[in-house]
Amino acid sequence: MQQGTGASETEVTWEDQQNINKFGRLNNRFHELEDEIKFAKEAIDNLEDASNELILTDEEVVRFQIGEVFAHVPKEEVETRIEEMKEVSSNNLEKLEEEKESVVAQMAELKKVLYGKFKDSINLEED
Amino acid sequence: MAAAASSSSTESPKTTTERRGIPGAQFVEDVETYLSQTALDVNSTLAFLQERLQQYKLVEMKLLAQQRGLQAKIPDIEKCLDVVVTLQAEKGTGEAFIADFEVSEGIYSRARIEDNDSVCLWLGANVMLEYSCEEATSLLKKNSENAKASLEVLIADLQFLRDQVTITQVTIARVYNWDVHQRRIRQTATSSATKDS
Repeated sequence: MQQGTGASETEVTWEDQQNINKFGRLNNRFHELEDEIKFAKEAIDNLEDASNELILTDEEVVRFQIGEVFAHVPKEEVETRIEEMKEVSSNNLEKLEEEKESVVAQMAELKKVLYGKFKDSINLEED
Repeated sequence: MAAAASSSSTESPKTTTERRGIPGAQFVEDVETYLSQTALDVNSTLAFLQERLQQYKLVEMKLLAQQRGLQAKIPDIEKCLDVVVTLQAEKGTGEAFIADFEVSEGIYSRARIEDNDSVCLWLGANVMLEYSCEEATSLLKKNSENAKASLEVLIADLQFLRDQVTITQVTIARVYNWDVHQRRIRQTATSSATKDS
């Protein structure tokens, strides 16, 4: 996103500046959210794969990673833990998606306001 | 000049006070007044604003590096906390806790951890201290809280900084456009003057 004011004489008020600042902040947050959502989705996929492997294995004791070590944990406990982690991850993902929608909506609002005042003098698109 | 600047409300500059060493960018209501206030010509003003922008970029790099450091540290602390909590949980069962440790890349060694009350925490700088499980848990939790709080302050700093960068960029664009506009006016004035004379 770049800001450029053209050769027109529209004056920039403090309120306009604050809107531009807010748009910049929202845009940054939007990109951060996209990255976070990507990580969250990967984490959920990994947990899915792990629980599928768990169903296939016939070992009683599974090596479950806690911190940097692999602890020997009975299969049922591992299943429970993975279910909990999946729960946490998908709640997290939901929250991130919601925040992303709100950010997108706010950015659309600001675009309307800023394009309304500055028309061609301002560029709010991704380059 | 200062009296003239403060007399009219449209000419009072909006300065966000500095934040933790980062100077706030002065918002310019009217380019002409701003230029007369600073008594600099357009090129010097543009040079000054560009320099400010460079300084902001430097600080941004520094803050981003700090942020990355913290974002790496927090999961580490959480992992340590997990291990200590798990050890504490196993304490009650009386069974030994078996775990595989990575001795080297691809090589793991099995260890049997009996019931115990204390853990050793690596504090950095070649120092490792023994703590009781409760103390270790509270220390790690405190470190985690502090790291998260620092991260929040850092993120707020970065947001403030980005705002100042945006304000400075917009000011540069406006000063430049004002200059272009002035040149155009002067050109039309001189060309019409030569036409008349």
